[in-house]
Amino acid sequence: MLKSLYNKLCSLNLGLWLICLVMAFLAIGSFSRGAAEGGGLNEMPLFMFLREAPVSFSWWLWICVALIAVLVVNTIVCGFDALRKGRSLAPQLMHLGFLAIVLAHLISAYGGFKQPIQVIQGGGIYFPDGERLTVEQIGGTTGAMGMMTSYAAILRFPDGRRSEVRPNHPLFHKGYGIYIKEVGMMEAPAALFEIHREPGAPAALIGAIFFTIGNLMLLNTRRQR
Amino acid sequence: MIWVYYACIPLYFFGSFRWPLLVAGLALELVYLAGRGLTLGRLPLIGPQDTLAFFSCSVALMSIPFVFSRELRGNRSFSWGCGLMAGLFALLSLPFPTLNMPLPPVLDTYWFELHVALAFFAYALFGVAALLGGMYLNGGGRNLLDLQYRAALVGYTMFSLSMISGGIWGYYAWGTYWLWTAKELWTSILWLYYSMYLHLRIKGPAWDKAFAWIGIAGFLVTLFTYLGVSMLMRSSHSF
Repeated sequence: MLKSLYNKLCSLNLGLWLICLVMAFLAIGSFSRGAAEGGGLNEMPLFMFLREAPVSFSWWLWICVALIAVLVVNTIVCGFDALRKGRSLAPQLMHLGFLAIVLAHLISAYGGFKQPIQVIQGGGIYFPDGERLTVEQIGGTTGAMGMMTSYAAILRFPDGRRSEVRPNHPLFHKGYGIYIKEVGMMEAPAALFEIHREPGAPAALIGAIFFTIGNLMLLNTRRQR
Repeated sequence: MIWVYYACIPLYFFGSFRWPLLVAGLALELVYLAGRGLTLGRLPLIGPQDTLAFFSCSVALMSIPFVFSRELRGNRSFSWGCGLMAGLFALLSLPFPTLNMPLPPVLDTYWFELHVALAFFAYALFGVAALLGGMYLNGGGRNLLDLQYRAALVGYTMFSLSMISGGIWGYYAWGTYWLWTAKELWTSILWLYYSMYLHLRIKGPAWDKAFAWIGIAGFLVTLFTYLGVSMLMRSSHSF
């Protein structure tokens, strides 16, 4: 019985069917209200959304999570089987990368954090331990077409150190990233910040590296044929 | 400068069955895109006109190694098919206005340019793969199917790299490597689709016809991911 289960779990057909089903439910979900950008899915970690959103919003995500869980088992068993039979290493590295990226999503879905904060110049950003970062200066440059072409804020730590936050250049502090999203240069310059914690990011990067190495090795193998 | 762009379209449509004319069309389109890039101070990758032009150019560029491959050297229908595809997307871009605004600060990074450029190279290779699948179904030899697999594999590699660079850019720009938007869902669908396609190869020659058809259908998924999502669905992550 165990052998039969093992054979089923390492079947290529099972993997192909699971991929098709995940695609189908992602496609259905992309048209649903749950995936709409105002639907709150991007405002909180995935598991919190699944707990709090009505099932009529999130049913397709539940199904996708369940299907991906089986796909993960299928990938692990297939990878183990291929290594046992001494097959090429390249696809297994790609599978390992895929698994690490799924793990990254799992970690972020559980421990992610996001909070927008609007602060005027001179105001503060508070951390859970009570530390306050002062928004010392907010500045921006407006281009010829009236669009803001650059903006930045200077944050001061309690010990007097200063650090600049710009688009694509966040400030990382105590495991959180501080991102500047918008700047308004009214009477009192103000900025919209977002505080993020993305604990799955290192695993996603490691997964991406494994996947890329495996992919390039596979390309090289095919080129030699 | 736009006249250079106009000139490439008839070359693609009416001359690309001869490879020197396909290359001439590509050269004109590259000159146009380089000129726009120099004027804007960035890669022209914003808005439907620029992205369609970039896509058209990518199709012609990615087809060149296949035009000169041992299996397709002298095959006029392949180079004409690629020219038609490149010409069609160039033609589609014409009704849209050019967007000459400076880049919004969050897009002003090499990660964004790398992400978008790699995605278009991948889309173009999926288009070339679909064309090769069509030629196989039209009575071509099995070597066309091998070429289709190679085009899709290189396209898949580029698409994966595009997703990785997009994730890195997203992490630095928005604080997360993943957002639940229609575009990203369809990007994942496309990636899964070609993962499935590449795995199907293991099933052997009995699946050759299905393999060719799936390669063709993949280009439809690609077009929906690129154009359909941007035009039919609401997503901040489009064009």
